[in-house]
Amino acid sequence: MTTLDQKPARAEGRKDPWSQMLEKVGKNQDRQAYHALFEHFGPQIKYYAMANGLASHAEELVQEVFVSIWRRSCLYDWRKAAASTWIFTIARNQRIDMLRKMKRTSAEMPVETEDLWQIPGENEDEPVTSLHRLMSERRVRESLSHLPEEQITVIAKVYMESKSHQMVADELNIPLGTVKSRVRLALNKLKVILQDQNV
Amino acid sequence: MTRHHPDTLTLMEYSAGNLSEPHALCIRLHLDQCSHCRSRVDTLDSLGAVMMESQPQVGVSSDMFDSILSRIDSEPDMTEQYISSQAKRKSPLQKLLGDNLNDLPWKRQLGDVSVLDISERFPGQSEQVVLQKLAAGGKAPAHTHRGDETTIVLQGAFADQKGVFNQWDFVVLNQEDEHKPVAVGCEDCITLSVLSAPVKLTGTFTRLLNPFIR
Repeated sequence: MTTLDQKPARAEGRKDPWSQMLEKVGKNQDRQAYHALFEHFGPQIKYYAMANGLASHAEELVQEVFVSIWRRSCLYDWRKAAASTWIFTIARNQRIDMLRKMKRTSAEMPVETEDLWQIPGENEDEPVTSLHRLMSERRVRESLSHLPEEQITVIAKVYMESKSHQMVADELNIPLGTVKSRVRLALNKLKVILQDQNV
Repeated sequence: MTRHHPDTLTLMEYSAGNLSEPHALCIRLHLDQCSHCRSRVDTLDSLGAVMMESQPQVGVSSDMFDSILSRIDSEPDMTEQYISSQAKRKSPLQKLLGDNLNDLPWKRQLGDVSVLDISERFPGQSEQVVLQKLAAGGKAPAHTHRGDETTIVLQGAFADQKGVFNQWDFVVLNQEDEHKPVAVGCEDCITLSVLSAPVKLTGTFTRLLNPFIR
């Protein structure tokens, strides 16, 4: 039989079970897979909402994120982003959207959240080096476990609490330059800083 | 300062969703055309995902999944609607400014320079958002910048003593950057700039003083 030979490079990405499940949701409207994603990511998103000061709207945000996941799952392409990355960007956009709607007066907003913050893999014509993307998520996860606590704390405040570098500096009572250098050290290890100019 | 591409710290604030709307627009317009920066943002988005998974988790109420399912069932064709709405999607720039940048109600300023303030398109944002047009071959007078000024080239190209900036190039300038841009090529050069909010003093006494401080 040929089964032994069916492990080409493609199989690399399939190792991630969440991406497989998300794909099932997109292709077959698989509700079991959808439920598994909900069980795994729902509590993460709820914490994300609470850390962002949306405590009284945390469950609402989880709901909005999952409805959005269902609607756009047909556009999900595992070669373009791991499920967790894709879901993070949806949670981020829904959070921004919710805050925008809360602040909205009667003035219309000509630009939608998704015009400003993109979901990876959507609106892209070129099939970019997809393997690189999947590798990058694995690399990020591995490198993060080796980072010193002080660097992780700073990054967590930026991502989880939507704090600017300046706000993080004020809160931790350290100079802005220190915050920036911690972030840079961390991103260096994560190889995000590749060809940065003048940084 | 930052030239041609946004720096990684700014991209991180973008990925975390912490930038103001006009600022995010500049980044988005650049990302649409720059695969190098897009792949940096991909990695940063992965960092966001890994941060989210490494934080504490909070249980959700037991009936939430059912209410999500009933919402999905009440709008059965949403997926299709979603796909067609995506297909019809206009670029953010078209939505904001229409199809022809040259036809906008430009206000002639000095010599070769025209401007258009579009701050009111971003309700609730404190930054000033300005389009600037430098006529083909034209020169802008030497100037510096108040605070940080983030600029993206929307059309044509300009050059200053530090280099040439083509369409979709990104540049951040501040008080220390005095420059004298020249529009190069045969097209008018149009840029979108976001100016960090000027310091506003509040309080009854300082309000009286305010006009003299500017």
